[in-house]
Amino acid sequence: MTSGLRRAVWTVVLVVVSFLITALILRVSGYSVGDVFSGIIQGAITATGASTSSIRWAIPLLLIALGVVVGFRAGFFNIGGQGQFYMGACSALAISLGWREGPAGLVILCGTLAAMLAGVLWSLFPGWLRVRFGTDEVLTTLMMSFIGALVLQYLTAGPMRNPQGTGQTAASERIPEAFRLTGGSGVSLTVLLLVAGVTVLVWLVLERTRFGLTMTLVGRNATMARWQGINVRRVGLGAFALSGALAGLAGAVELYGPAARLVTGFSPEVGFTAVVVALVGLLNVWGTVVAAIFFGGLQAAILFLPIVTDLPPPALVLLHGMVAFLVTIKFRAVRRRRAAQTEATAG
Amino acid sequence: MEQILATTLRSAAPLVLVAMAGVFAFRAGIFHLGLEGLMIAGAFATVAVGDTTGSVELGVLAAIGVCLLLSALYWWVIGPLGANVIIAGLGLTSIGLGGTAYALGAIFDVRGSLFTDVVLPRPVRNITEGAGVIVAEHSIFVWITPLIVLAAWVVLRRSRFGLRLAAVGEYPFAARSAGVNPSMVRLQAILIAGALCALGGAELSVGALRNFTENMTNGRGFIAFVAVIFGAWHPIGAAFAGLFFGFAEAIGIQSQINITERVPREFVLMIPFVLTIFAVWLGGLWRRRSLEAEAGYAELREPDF
Repeated sequence: MTSGLRRAVWTVVLVVVSFLITALILRVSGYSVGDVFSGIIQGAITATGASTSSIRWAIPLLLIALGVVVGFRAGFFNIGGQGQFYMGACSALAISLGWREGPAGLVILCGTLAAMLAGVLWSLFPGWLRVRFGTDEVLTTLMMSFIGALVLQYLTAGPMRNPQGTGQTAASERIPEAFRLTGGSGVSLTVLLLVAGVTVLVWLVLERTRFGLTMTLVGRNATMARWQGINVRRVGLGAFALSGALAGLAGAVELYGPAARLVTGFSPEVGFTAVVVALVGLLNVWGTVVAAIFFGGLQAAILFLPIVTDLPPPALVLLHGMVAFLVTIKFRAVRRRRAAQTEATAG
Repeated sequence: MEQILATTLRSAAPLVLVAMAGVFAFRAGIFHLGLEGLMIAGAFATVAVGDTTGSVELGVLAAIGVCLLLSALYWWVIGPLGANVIIAGLGLTSIGLGGTAYALGAIFDVRGSLFTDVVLPRPVRNITEGAGVIVAEHSIFVWITPLIVLAAWVVLRRSRFGLRLAAVGEYPFAARSAGVNPSMVRLQAILIAGALCALGGAELSVGALRNFTENMTNGRGFIAFVAVIFGAWHPIGAAFAGLFFGFAEAIGIQSQINITERVPREFVLMIPFVLTIFAVWLGGLWRRRSLEAEAGYAELREPDF
């Protein structure tokens, strides 16, 4: 087997093991695994509207995960996708509510650009700290995520709150129907074409451009790249910017697509799940597409499950955690080879 | 003012306990992002077992047991199985957050919060005026936290184990040459970290409060981790950093009560996170003074795929 294929098979094995362990936990706590499993199949594929719902949840996962892939290529952990996603959605919302009478196409374009810009800013700040001062980006992107969630909470509870809203949770006003790219299902030809186009574009940038190549070099060995005359800082900032732009775009697509309004703390797990998606997709664009559809299906299923079982929804968080916990385990041969390398270099 | 100081101590105690966990892990060369998950697992186990048995001691013991088990699994995955430390750590956090919320529904059939009558003993009570308010109504864990910090300092600085830990964290190859098994030393450090997280979680649920709530740690595990970096992975430094973040939280809580009209609540809640970024930035600057430290540090967080 080629090493790429072996890694893919190994990853699938690890994901299956995570599922089995989670299934065992569900079994022990008294739920019928068979019911849950058939509920997942129904909720993700066979029930009415299920496959559309799977795609709907796969879209934000895919866009954010592509951003994670871009970051990883250059050697950075952008785990702040959640905050960048929220800021993108908030910016698109601000433009759309502030310019209600505008021509739909122009407003959507401006809103989307604003969303991407917000995502860029939200990731470029930790990125700048990283390349300029060596500040660890794992923690700063995480903190920016927490801050982004609070900004969303502030906006939906304060300046953008829907005055007619009566619910317990704060929510913004709805954007005019003319601005929406999809119906409530969240899937339409426009959105699918947009996402497909962006995916191909990211693949082209990563695999077929000078920027993508330098990014990979920086990610593999920053010192070497510097010696080869690559401006490591500029490449790092570019990677952070692209990564944030993709998460911001996901926010805009969410708003103009299924959401139409923003609710405090919506899709709370999407940022972290996207990291898992990128890893399961082996940090490769097409692998990430497959993983995103898979985890999108799972998200759709967990929303469907309460109809057929009384499984508490946090079981999904548990499952995502289990996958993340196990998915980077190395294949035995790789582990041995790496250990030998470490010994050799240390000696 | 007394009230703010009292709240500071109460908010800081879990942070400091978990920060000590972070110090042990960091000294062993592990960038432990599973602290949050261990902390909430500890909080849940204390309430779940404590409430069922009616004994807070059994609850705390159960919390320690659960966190030791999870920590041993974490060690197994990142050590012998070679998983990525950061991703597996974040996975552990999700397992903790999701698993406790799931168990709350699956075992107790409640969503949100589980209230309990068990509570940690509070040695000093019934002071309502003057400076005494600062020390009143704190759980026993708040009182022993300074002792744990001192103990951590002594263990790391003076004991055989502490010196081995330093060797393993700084230069595993040298440690191995000296006949120390780095993997075993890391296991011990991770287990100590697990037990400390259990105490931090217990203090949060039955020390300061009397309930377990979904996601009640609310980022505290991460903030404690930052306290470790801010405190230059020294127990005393990390403890003061934890105290400082506790103070920030106390101001947040107080102003939620007093100045909510003028300053939106969300901005006050942002303070710890903004300070954290500032702290990581400062900690990074401080770290860069030592090239060797930087090389060792880079190894910890290098994406390895």
